[in-house]
Amino acid sequence: MIPQLGNFAIILALCFALIQCIAPLYGYAKQQRLYFQLSRTAAIGQFIFLAFSLVSLILCFLNNDMSVFYVQQHSHRLLPLLYRIGAAWGGHEGSLLLWCVILSGWTFVFILLSSLGNSFSISVLPPTQAIHDKIIIILGLISSGFIIFLFFTSNPFIRIFPLNGIIGEDLTPVLQDPGLIFHPPMLYLGYVGFSIGFAFAVAALWEGKIEKTWAKACKPWIILPWSFLSCGIVLGSWWAYRELGWGGWWFWDPVENASLLPWLAATALLHCLIVGEKRQVFYGWTLLLAIITFALSLIGTFLVRSGVLVSVHAFANDPTRGLFLLLYLAFLIGGALMLYGCRIHRFYQPPHFQLFSRETFLLINSVILLTAVVTILIGTLYPIILDALNLEKISVGEPYFNTVFVPIMLLLLLLMGAAPHVPWRTAHVHIFWNKIRTVFLISLFITFLMPFAYSKLFEFEYHPLAGIGIGISTWIILSTLKYAYQRWHSQSLPFLPASAMIVAHIGIAMTVLGITINQSYAQERQMKMSIGETVSLAGYTFTFMQLSKSSHANFETLLATFAVKKAHHSPTSLIAEQRIYRSHDQRFSKPGILTNGWRDLYLALGTSLPDGAWTVRIYYKPLVRWIWAGGFLLLISGFLSLMNYRHKQNNYHEH
Amino acid sequence: MKKPIFILFMICLTSSLCFAADEYDSFLSFQEQQRFHALTRELRCLVCQNQTLDQSNAALAADLRAKIYHQIQEGKSDKQIMAYLTSRYGDYILYRPPFNRYTLLLWCGPFLLLILAISYLFFYLSKARQTK
Amino acid sequence: MNIKRLLPFILFISIIVLFWRGLGLHPNEIPSPLMNETVPQFHLPLLFNPAHSLSNQDFYGHITLLNIWATWCSVCAEEQDFLLQIAKQNDFYLYGLNYKDDPAQAKKWLAHYGNPYRLIGIDETGQVAIDWGVYGTPETFIIDQKGIIRYKHVGALTSNNWETELLPIIKKLQMEAK
Repeated sequence: MIPQLGNFAIILALCFALIQCIAPLYGYAKQQRLYFQLSRTAAIGQFIFLAFSLVSLILCFLNNDMSVFYVQQHSHRLLPLLYRIGAAWGGHEGSLLLWCVILSGWTFVFILLSSLGNSFSISVLPPTQAIHDKIIIILGLISSGFIIFLFFTSNPFIRIFPLNGIIGEDLTPVLQDPGLIFHPPMLYLGYVGFSIGFAFAVAALWEGKIEKTWAKACKPWIILPWSFLSCGIVLGSWWAYRELGWGGWWFWDPVENASLLPWLAATALLHCLIVGEKRQVFYGWTLLLAIITFALSLIGTFLVRSGVLVSVHAFANDPTRGLFLLLYLAFLIGGALMLYGCRIHRFYQPPHFQLFSRETFLLINSVILLTAVVTILIGTLYPIILDALNLEKISVGEPYFNTVFVPIMLLLLLLMGAAPHVPWRTAHVHIFWNKIRTVFLISLFITFLMPFAYSKLFEFEYHPLAGIGIGISTWIILSTLKYAYQRWHSQSLPFLPASAMIVAHIGIAMTVLGITINQSYAQERQMKMSIGETVSLAGYTFTFMQLSKSSHANFETLLATFAVKKAHHSPTSLIAEQRIYRSHDQRFSKPGILTNGWRDLYLALGTSLPDGAWTVRIYYKPLVRWIWAGGFLLLISGFLSLMNYRHKQNNYHEH
Repeated sequence: MKKPIFILFMICLTSSLCFAADEYDSFLSFQEQQRFHALTRELRCLVCQNQTLDQSNAALAADLRAKIYHQIQEGKSDKQIMAYLTSRYGDYILYRPPFNRYTLLLWCGPFLLLILAISYLFFYLSKARQTK
Repeated sequence: MNIKRLLPFILFISIIVLFWRGLGLHPNEIPSPLMNETVPQFHLPLLFNPAHSLSNQDFYGHITLLNIWATWCSVCAEEQDFLLQIAKQNDFYLYGLNYKDDPAQAKKWLAHYGNPYRLIGIDETGQVAIDWGVYGTPETFIIDQKGIIRYKHVGALTSNNWETELLPIIKKLQMEAK
């Protein structure tokens, strides 16, 4: 019964989505507001029914209804409750349903905040009526296509009978982690949220003009998804670190790249919107970025589900589904870019700013970020390019991306420290230099000092390149703090609007620092250990104390307890596991991690050897948690930026 | 062609769950250990194609690691070992794409693009301001 | 001026075309660099007669098909019927290479699924297979009369790919010999 209801709800949602995008066209023809109101109601209806459908799917999992083929593929008789909920979006069909729910959810929130905006103390500026109407149409169009794709090619409610003793294929052990509950929804809140920015841009192009308030209205609808996406990416990285057993946190896997690409474009976009809001410039560029950001989200969705790339992450690959997605992607983005090409001349503004000004810095920011996007895209697609041209067959891995991405980002980070101190419109180099000189010289000094200090004082290896990362982080932190100090004491400008930028930039600096220190000063050892043996690493001793067994709902586990001791401190215990999942006799090595925020001690079991010993890998990972802490700061900064719109501040100033 | 890919996929999932730690480390000198790890991290596992030989627990990866270990013991240089593997599996096994006329765009492209894009930006801004 | 405005659109369409082309490719498949190379030197005991061996010397004077298989590979079992069919043809020799397997298991498996092979070499450690660039099962190589590897097929042989891919090559090699 429940699967049928869920399926039917999708059909109803499709009807609503179609009304949402078609009714307003009648409204334009007949010049009546009624159709536009109908379209908004339809959008709300679409969300309600899609949410209902997702809830049905989750219920099917909770009941372990094996007659639903999707449940059979991803659940198991013994699978714990929590993971059954996560399994609802653990596969292609369910995650696509989640995609649709979130798309209609964002539309719903957009309608809510745009209509009732004035009742909230933290509110968003609604766009003009004309733009608002068109946004709803465009979102309805996107929704309709995805629901059609969902219903006809990837329906999670397909039933399969008979059910003779089917117990389910089980969720892959790697997915049986709390990360599954949060990571995909967060990512989708991000990816999918960029559809609103896309709709803003296409609406403006359709309308043929941009009002003064367009950028201000659009900004929160980019910043919020961007924050969620930042958090989603960070959660994914953290999850991989905890689960995959060799302490890695980013692999440049095509699916990871697919999530990074929209993030980079959205970062460029939000900076352009900030400029657009204050200075009313860059509109042409902003419109293009808005389209590109959503295009990258869709390209990412395509890459992950079509089988075009090899990835550990990818869903069950099906070229027919891939073709559908490709055609739809071509239609939406191709259409938008064609419209852009035809109408962009109307939005041209000659630059009113000097060459040395904050506007220029922010334009360079966009250029660098887009270069990074193109770089990662080409790197990810290069194997396909060569293969399609019948040339070599190569593979592009981590070493390539690290080599090209890092220098480009270093340039951006350098500018990031400088930009807040460069005034708008006109700036004088010598004034700027006077302001920033001390901070710059301190950072330069630290660049050379730190690796030297680390090697002499803490007996680490000498890594001169680490100095660059440390120096740049220092540069950004000191420069941002200096800006924060000046702003706090400023008579004319309020502090709160700047807080978002301050928190975000410091977050990035933390991440860079974490990455630098972790890559340069991490240590590892890999060896055999028997019970009673001790090894040492980075000043800590690890003693293999005992092996014990334990039994859980759907797996048996072997617990290896280690005592970790640093000189003059009492020992702490560190437990690593080797799990065997009952469903398919799958082994899963779960690492044990000890953290104090400054360093992680990470231990993973390998294989057991005939003499009772185990191969063990131990890592010392300094500052690795800062990589993700920085990401969470980005999430906070996103919400801080919403504070800009408090209605209490009647004298809202530009910063 | 779906089934073998599915099998490979399942092997990769189970193998990504236990990393590969062999006992080779204890038989190699420190320098040889460094070489062994450096080499296995530059090579792609052909079964679990998104993991390095170092990370993968696939049987083929274990065999290839054994091969590399023996070749280090025989005194072969890094270059010889890489050549041995690429002559049998092609450039695909290299985790770091080779630098040849086909990959010129790949390696040089990003930096060229950055320089060109920033130059064009400055050119455009100066020209636009001049025509004002 | 117009082309510049449509540049994003043109670039995007090129990406779409690339993807469309990519949908028809097989990203997992690795082409063999051994094309047109001589058969690698090797020496393996025969499954049914361990005193004798299968070596690179056995590949001269006739067209050979070398099929890499294992008992733990379920797809190989599906392929076996078809191999039995084509083994009846006389224009080539069909050799098998038993990959990383237990000889006793292998014999049982063949008894159950049928034995189309003229000779079977057992490679328990898989080291010889590495010399052939094997990375999964099943794989099939076509070697010509002069002992040169001419084609590698990854995956199971079916009547479909036999007709379209392998048979034309065998026919071509036969023509070359004349």
